[in-house]
Amino acid sequence: MTFWNRLRFWIRKPQHIILIVLVLVLTFLTVVPLLSLVRDTFIVHPSEIMSVRGSKPGDFTLFHWRKVFLDGERSYRLFYQPFLNTVIVSLASSLIAILLGGAVAWLVTRTDIKAKGFISTVFIFPYIMPSWTLAMAWLNFFRNGLTGGAPGLVTALTGWVPPTWFSFGAFPISVVLGLHYSPFAYILIGGILKNMDANLEEAALILKASRARILLRINLPIVMPAILSTFLLVFSSSMSAFAVPAFLGTPVRYQVLTTQLFRTLNGLNPGYGYIMALVMIVVGLGILAINQWYVGKRKSFITVTGKSSNISYLKLKRLRTPLTVMLVLLVVLIAIVPLLTFLVESFIMAPGDYRPSNFTTLFWAGEGREDIGGGEPGILLNRSVYQAFWNSIRLSVAVALVAGTIGALAGYAIVRTRGTKLSLIVNNLSFFPYLLPSMAFGAIYLSMFAKPFLLIPSLYGTFALLVLIGAVKYLPFASRAGINAMLQLSAELEEAAIIMGVPWRKRMTRILIPIQKSSFLSGYFLPFISCMRELALFVLLVTPANRVITTLLLQYNEKGWNQWANAINLLIIIVVLLFNTVINRLTGASIDKGIGS
Amino acid sequence: MRKVALFALLAAVLAILPAGAADQALIDAAKKEGKVVVYSITSRIANAAKAFESKYGIKVEAYNLKDGELIEKVSREVAGNIAGADFVICQDSGRVFGQLFAPGYLVNYVPDSMKQVIPAQYQNPLIFQFINKVFIYNNEKVQTPVIRNVWELTEPKWKGLVQFKDPKQEGVNANFLTMLTSPEWSAKLEKAYEEYYGKKLVLTTKNAGYEWIKRFFQNGLILGNSDTTISENVGIKGQPKTTLGLFVYSKTRYEATKNLALAPMPDVKPFAGFMYPAFIMMTKNAKNKNAAKLFIEYLLTPEGFSPWSKDVGSYSSNPNVPIDKDDFPVSYWEPRLVFEDPAYLFENRADVEEFVNTISAK
Repeated sequence: MTFWNRLRFWIRKPQHIILIVLVLVLTFLTVVPLLSLVRDTFIVHPSEIMSVRGSKPGDFTLFHWRKVFLDGERSYRLFYQPFLNTVIVSLASSLIAILLGGAVAWLVTRTDIKAKGFISTVFIFPYIMPSWTLAMAWLNFFRNGLTGGAPGLVTALTGWVPPTWFSFGAFPISVVLGLHYSPFAYILIGGILKNMDANLEEAALILKASRARILLRINLPIVMPAILSTFLLVFSSSMSAFAVPAFLGTPVRYQVLTTQLFRTLNGLNPGYGYIMALVMIVVGLGILAINQWYVGKRKSFITVTGKSSNISYLKLKRLRTPLTVMLVLLVVLIAIVPLLTFLVESFIMAPGDYRPSNFTTLFWAGEGREDIGGGEPGILLNRSVYQAFWNSIRLSVAVALVAGTIGALAGYAIVRTRGTKLSLIVNNLSFFPYLLPSMAFGAIYLSMFAKPFLLIPSLYGTFALLVLIGAVKYLPFASRAGINAMLQLSAELEEAAIIMGVPWRKRMTRILIPIQKSSFLSGYFLPFISCMRELALFVLLVTPANRVITTLLLQYNEKGWNQWANAINLLIIIVVLLFNTVINRLTGASIDKGIGS
Repeated sequence: MRKVALFALLAAVLAILPAGAADQALIDAAKKEGKVVVYSITSRIANAAKAFESKYGIKVEAYNLKDGELIEKVSREVAGNIAGADFVICQDSGRVFGQLFAPGYLVNYVPDSMKQVIPAQYQNPLIFQFINKVFIYNNEKVQTPVIRNVWELTEPKWKGLVQFKDPKQEGVNANFLTMLTSPEWSAKLEKAYEEYYGKKLVLTTKNAGYEWIKRFFQNGLILGNSDTTISENVGIKGQPKTTLGLFVYSKTRYEATKNLALAPMPDVKPFAGFMYPAFIMMTKNAKNKNAAKLFIEYLLTPEGFSPWSKDVGSYSSNPNVPIDKDDFPVSYWEPRLVFEDPAYLFENRADVEEFVNTISAK
């Protein structure tokens, strides 16, 4: 066979075409920005003419590197200490997310606990809420006297004044981020556990293995890739979370990399910010490498085969009711109670006063009063709220469609060519955007696409640019979902169809996708919800005319117009749940992939 | 003779015409454009926009941005020749002079009708209004000012009871701190220290300005994200200890509606807070030039400024705009507050920001 023939034969396979296209597109959309980021650490930016004396914008300089790493005490405060804080907070929140999400996932998928549908749906709420709103809820509850103002609800109800470490700083930041991201763990780990063939457990039982041993030697190894994926996702997300540390850390001046990143990117020294972003990417790459080393080491984790699989639930017996009650209470506490406080706070006129006379519908349906918030109308009568909401929804739908579809195809191609170099490259490229801190990613796209670039016209200010960055940023969710779905699926299913001469498109739409429908659909859902509540990614790219609901929400929060903010937050959750219900009715799938049902 | 009479008549007619009425040609041209886009650091632009819309039938897209955000957006948009704002209301002298005025992204426009009205020193760049942040205390239990000298804030009795907006979040706050390190203000701070304690200040930093900043921050200063939240935290009733903050004076307008106890302390030595200008400028690539000019002119009139003038803490550059009955004119505040010096800020702001970042982390 000549080379050309071999190439022709090779290229005939759909998975190869997909890989080639993805390599080209993703290189352009992720590697080029990375190089541009590196370049940005070496040049003088327009706002730095004040600090880099006697320079012009665009000059080459080592100033940023020297300041960030080698300037003694100043570097320590600017970089090293925030870096340490970031690592601590990210580790802690990953741990919380995995333990909590994993435990709930196990209880829901492998035991006969009651109220599964309820738990499964409600447990996802913290992820739907923009993360900093949970931080606001934390402050509503656990604020102590440090910042003055009305005491927190806990103090008001019980008289207990939380110590400052409990109210502000590393502890609440870790807990809030952990809670916010535990649905990740729940979805990823639960997705694997749900499909796990109980024959494995039963075989072990027959061999008289103890429960603990089964959990440790069978369940854990099977979910290990999911745990590692979760760790990678939660760690990276926590590392690039900005608003939560800004709200919970600022009062005690607890600095993390992102708060420094934000200050420098939006202030006088973007060069520092680009270096910090680079550091965050390097850390992320390190974790990715560990992840890969582990996944590469193990043999296989197919859980869905052509054979019948048997799922049986662990009988909790006497513990069934108490555990159910406890879990329901826990879920209500972390997912419903904050919503209730938002609801109540959105109707309150003077802060901290809960008498009926102090309730008002002004912030929902009022025309606006000059003396409060400068006459801002209630959100239901507010033009900018509607405009921003509409932008958010169409953006999220567009991003979900693009990212979800590409992710599913990528998953297919990567798994079908597993073991080849190309497969590994695409696998890494499709995950790489996740490691780019959102705010820095936004900053790079801004500088790349603000002017015409390689035949692409200037995209700044267009809706297309927002869709593009959203789709790239959330591709990792979709491609992970696609890969997980495909990895569980034994190749024999498709091979049977190939032998029968079924064309590729039909194999996908009739066999692969229907079997793993819920996994693939989660590749659409995660980008959708993430997008609905994403802030940092878009904050630099939106022009005022196409701003999204979260930028408006943060603006209200930052101004201290909390009633409007709380009302908007509730609306976001209601809209996402509405979407979830509609899609659930239509397709039978849902955000939590129907893990509980 | 007839000519002279005609002239006299013309002059009389001109005098009767209300000052600030826009020229008809401009109105027509503006109406033809039918729309104007403004980015503003003050949220009350929305109310002014509504009034302007109903007066002229010209649609206004008004966007409220934070100061740093506005600078970033405008420099990107104008540099890339992307249609964005037609004009802006911006603040932060430490940055706008170097980043927006010097490269020509923003263009000064003083309406003809305002050239004789607005004092010359406010015309280039044209100032829209002054805003002040002053020391404000919770007057629920004490009705007289609780401090007389800013050095008191560095004493243990005020530890953890003072609030200030995070200078990272808003440029004008960083400008204020920067100005304190200037020769003028560090000398005043040094003098105030000697007057209060009767002894010389022993420096651990470059000068008395840096010294005060350091001690102020290290005395458990609470940094907030929003002046509104700070005003609530300081002003809410029933707190065990009297609190105070350095925040936007106009937030005292919430006193009644939100049931807060807030009172300013205008006589603290050597300064009672700071005052900074907001500039009103057209963008170089403005699409709706005439509508922008018309709106700018309107905002400078008493009518256009009414969303701001009905409260304390906003001072139009137009001396004909009345000031709230409970407030004082800029001339009253001038000797009491720290003002921005763009040249000094440009040279020193980065250093002071770095200094603050170094001392303020826990």
